[in-house]
Amino acid sequence: MINRFSNKVGGLRNLIFIATLLALVLTLLLDIYALDRILAPLAYFYLFFALFFMFYGLYPLYANRRLTKYYWDRTKRHRLSILGLIFIIFLIAIALIGPFLTQDPTRVNFQEKNLPPSGFSIQQSVYDLKTGGFVTRETPGTLQHPLGTDDKGRDMLAMLVSGARVSLQVGLLATLMAVLIGTILGVASAYLGGWVDNALMRFTDVMMTFPFFLLLVFIVFIFGPSLAFIILAIGLTGWTGTARLVRSETLSLRAREFVMASKSLGASGTRIIFRHLIPNVISSVIVIATLSIPGVILAEAALSFIGLGDPTVTSWGVILNAGQRSLDTAWWVAVEPGIMLFLTVLAFNFLGDGIRDAFDPRSQL
Amino acid sequence: MSDTVLAVKHLKTHFFTRHGVVKAVDDVSFDVRRGETLCLVGESGCGKTTAALSVLRLVDSPPGKILGGDIAYHNDNLLGCPDERLRQIRGKRIAMIFQDPQSSLNPVFTVGDQIAEQIKLHLRLKRKEAMDRVLQLMERIGIPKARERMKDYPHQFSGGMKQRVMIAIALSCDPEILIADEPVTALDTTIKSQILDIFQGLKQQKSMSILFITHDLGTVAGIADRIVVMYGGRVAEVGTASDIFHQPKHPYTHGLINCLPKVATGRIRLAPIPGTIPSLIDPPKGCIFSPRCQQRMPVCDEHIPKEVTITSDHRVACHLFA
Repeated sequence: MINRFSNKVGGLRNLIFIATLLALVLTLLLDIYALDRILAPLAYFYLFFALFFMFYGLYPLYANRRLTKYYWDRTKRHRLSILGLIFIIFLIAIALIGPFLTQDPTRVNFQEKNLPPSGFSIQQSVYDLKTGGFVTRETPGTLQHPLGTDDKGRDMLAMLVSGARVSLQVGLLATLMAVLIGTILGVASAYLGGWVDNALMRFTDVMMTFPFFLLLVFIVFIFGPSLAFIILAIGLTGWTGTARLVRSETLSLRAREFVMASKSLGASGTRIIFRHLIPNVISSVIVIATLSIPGVILAEAALSFIGLGDPTVTSWGVILNAGQRSLDTAWWVAVEPGIMLFLTVLAFNFLGDGIRDAFDPRSQL
Repeated sequence: MSDTVLAVKHLKTHFFTRHGVVKAVDDVSFDVRRGETLCLVGESGCGKTTAALSVLRLVDSPPGKILGGDIAYHNDNLLGCPDERLRQIRGKRIAMIFQDPQSSLNPVFTVGDQIAEQIKLHLRLKRKEAMDRVLQLMERIGIPKARERMKDYPHQFSGGMKQRVMIAIALSCDPEILIADEPVTALDTTIKSQILDIFQGLKQQKSMSILFITHDLGTVAGIADRIVVMYGGRVAEVGTASDIFHQPKHPYTHGLINCLPKVATGRIRLAPIPGTIPSLIDPPKGCIFSPRCQQRMPVCDEHIPKEVTITSDHRVACHLFA
């Protein structure tokens, strides 16, 4: 019985995936109808992608340990990509556990405003109550706020940690979403061909020319600014490049004989798409995904910077925006998130380069 | 005839291209009998592969389209049956092997997984049972150290080994008919004869029917029971192997056999057929072979020749015998 169903959807793994997905939808429905919240609405969003990543990202890596090791060995030869990977792991670690160790990033304390990072000190003119005038005083950084505080006395370290969480959420989820849509549309377009291909590709053209910022302004206007909608907006508009690339790769794959062979052996269209075509394009998809994460992170920072971001979260873009106004008095407020953005984008780009070289059979290092 | 397993009648497959309609297969009929090897022979571009692909409705559409005819497999008409039914027949009852073993295997799955896929799909076996069967198949087909090799990827196999794997996949569900599209053309001579031996063995053990497509008459001589000679999308001559080799009727068949080097006669020069296959978009009005035919008659330019029965198994489409 189970065997039969799993054959229909192309394997036990897909069956379990569909089952867990159904369970998720069921809890969501329960959440909507029963008023007790089981999970926060955003959690569903994250869980969906986490599930997807587990079943189609981590599991295959584990199942094909030999292949994973091969790719790992090839990636390892790129010293910089390993550095990038270490930084990304570090970033993920602080995004996951950091908020429990640092202070509340939203706590305001005007007594401690504009403290420089520890080890630095600045000349600051403060209003002295005793003399009733402004005096210039040397303000040293404290160990309590190792990265200083901003003009409202909020701890920079805590804010940066919270920003890392936002950036990674946006970067990973929006990319995963874009890549998911792009891959499915690209493969379907190339495999089905004919008018389906035409319709999907013209749709891609339209999406490519559609101004992404305009869409986002609309979304923010209609639904209010929320991180989930920003992720959705980036994800729903960012798939066009992937779709094009996957389509062209699939077109060349489709002409290969193993597709015909598989058809001649009784495989259905969906089976060919999911078992034969997607696994063959997945390496380029991984590369394009890694290389598009920095763009997405920067896009979110840019949005927050111009004030279209989610006001309830502290993202690097928000801090940057606040910092640029006080650049002459408190340089660290703008410089610190700037450095973090710079390093994060660099790390993803290095890792992406390494992965691309590892997955490209033509580059024999 | 009761032992006919596959009957192709008046098959027409055309390709609608920008330059015009290519009549790749035009009114082709043949039948495959139980436990025999039927060879489809002809030059490149004569429609042999298209005819074979049409049997399982594998012609890419667009641009290809099967315009007419009738392909009967037992009680099913393969051209008219629903897709679901066709998928059950493909692979399980009628399996196919392709010319290029290099590209016929999916590079991202292990060989064992790929053989197991059809078994799981058609026979609904569990993974463990399927893997046992894979092992048996690989051993039967002559892949040494099968238990280790089934965990290897296609690029770790040589060309001959890959073709063996393809054969193993095709045989995985014990099909009744095996369609082999130039299965040995890409292989070297030693491997070729080993693979042909496998085919012969299978035919005898399982009384499987083989539809063997090739342009190589030498291979044909070794394995064929009956032969269909195709030219320009049409059947030129059908007969048993000895009919075709010893009493060829059609001038084209004559020409083909004269192209073969012969040891006994000691002839030094081979006699090629002059000219090339005409464009199938705009074929000659009458017999399609007439521009190259040395025994051409006025009638050849006017009418398409009808099939003439020489003996019950030997038919030829030529005005010489009308």
